[in-house]
Amino acid sequence: MVASGTFGYAREMAGLVDVARLGGILPKTITRDPRAGNAPPRTIETTGGMLNSIGLDNDGIEAFIDRQLPYLAGLGTAIIVSIAGRTQQEFTRLAARLEGIDGVAALELNISCPNVSGGVDFGTNPAMCEKLVADVRRVCSLPVLAKLTPNVTDICAIARAAEAGGADALSLINTCLGMAVDWRRRRPILGNVLGGLSGPAIKPIALRIVYQVFQAVDVPLVGIGGIATIDDVMEFLVAGASAVQIGTANFYNPTVSTQILDALPVALAELDAGCVADVVGTIEGNDEARMTNDE
Amino acid sequence: MTVQHHHPSYADRAWQGTVVVEENVRVARDTYRIRFTCPEIARRVLPGQFIMMRLAGTNDPLLGRPLALYEVVPDSGGNPQGLDIVYLTVGKMTRRLALLRPTAPLEVWGPLGNGFPPTATEHLVMVAGGIGQTPFLALAREYLGLQTYGDPPRQAPNAGKITLCYGCRSSEYLAGVGDFERIGVEVRLSTDDGSTGHRGLVTDLIRPVVEQSSLACRIVCCGPEPMMEATAKIARELDLRCQVSLERPMVCGIGICFSCVAKIHDASGRWDYRRTCVEGPVFEAEDVEF
Repeated sequence: MVASGTFGYAREMAGLVDVARLGGILPKTITRDPRAGNAPPRTIETTGGMLNSIGLDNDGIEAFIDRQLPYLAGLGTAIIVSIAGRTQQEFTRLAARLEGIDGVAALELNISCPNVSGGVDFGTNPAMCEKLVADVRRVCSLPVLAKLTPNVTDICAIARAAEAGGADALSLINTCLGMAVDWRRRRPILGNVLGGLSGPAIKPIALRIVYQVFQAVDVPLVGIGGIATIDDVMEFLVAGASAVQIGTANFYNPTVSTQILDALPVALAELDAGCVADVVGTIEGNDEARMTNDE
Repeated sequence: MTVQHHHPSYADRAWQGTVVVEENVRVARDTYRIRFTCPEIARRVLPGQFIMMRLAGTNDPLLGRPLALYEVVPDSGGNPQGLDIVYLTVGKMTRRLALLRPTAPLEVWGPLGNGFPPTATEHLVMVAGGIGQTPFLALAREYLGLQTYGDPPRQAPNAGKITLCYGCRSSEYLAGVGDFERIGVEVRLSTDDGSTGHRGLVTDLIRPVVEQSSLACRIVCCGPEPMMEATAKIARELDLRCQVSLERPMVCGIGICFSCVAKIHDASGRWDYRRTCVEGPVFEAEDVEF
């Protein structure tokens, strides 16, 4: 799959990428009302990664349903709609609005965007997370993925809460909160001061979280974070992810997703695996050390 | 008036792949011209479009950089098969780009962006600041009937006259002046230090060109933001149509990251953030909220 916020609304990529080959597309996160997004500069490259503070720039749910969804529905791949709200009610209304609409395969709850005020609490407070997922579950029969933030003390507690609320899968991880500074001008570089770090720089954090959460919950995990090569994908699968989303790599290698699909059979064969499921969570290691690190 | 941002230029005809550097030569202070063969891009690219270029085999720098087409390189039959890109070394990526030698691999995707639309023009006044002259050589060659661009080749009306107003910090930064003069473009120069041409701002050169011209003028402009804003103001005062090629910090070049936004007015006069990569980089100056 390709991660939300890194593939536009797929129209932008259809000329470059054979999108029907993808397992799924997550269009850019949708909110109830149109949002202009944050003031530029919105991105800055860092060593092995980038910071962004886009701020969920989007035209709102109704424009998405009218203008983007009919196109997306015809692409021949699963469309998983990423939604974000500032309040419980915004989330449930978005979910209810998408119920029964042609072309929506699932919802991903973006409870982890670091660039907007409100909404991120659902990804950092276990009780709020569980209640939100449960409420969305109640108003919507679509499969629900909860996308979690790494910017918490105990990711497993949030993951268990999302599972208890009825999430069908967890997407791990959103960006890591970061900052860039122009010391000569004594100013933050990003227009919104803080931003989310993504790209290869965060892969070890994402792998660690997938590995930890795999021990803590029973629902499938979707690995996200710095994936740019087939080796990255295999690392996430072995660590416990059942699927992956490619994010920032789409920005600097637009055809990366299908390049990885091309390489997948050979990599699976190297582990004598017939399919992805055969390798998920098959990492071996010192159980005692693993438990110690979990605590 | 064309409202271009209603028709985004997605990468529907873009090509991505690895090319090999053929030449990478210094043309002025901190300024280089890199050449590579890539018929897939060369035969489609239009003046004002850009190419994303990324160093191969490294994650540092990680991201590509948008660089304007300077000129296509024709094969023996006259068909575009290679690209020349002229760039200023300003940061980590371009400084390393300047170190590449022939046979080095380079990752590219393009052509991208809308480019300059073909518009009937009697006297085209090109206003460039710093490295902002790079999109104008191909545009001048097209309007002078010396080269066709696009696949199929698009028909651009000839301009009766073309003037380039080009300003730099000092004479050592002036790049490619001969390339313009050779094809018959009138070149007027300015430098901050007076080492060549008018001492002062390039925007000081615009009014005299327009006032001395007996033809109907149209302005295209590329350079630092304050200079483009000043040019837009002069164009408005002279009641001339003006297009600007915006440069914003860009990550993907293909419309998926929403980094490179600029405030662009819609028909009702309100602004919204628009992606300069797919809705630009060329905008009507009057639509831009500087």
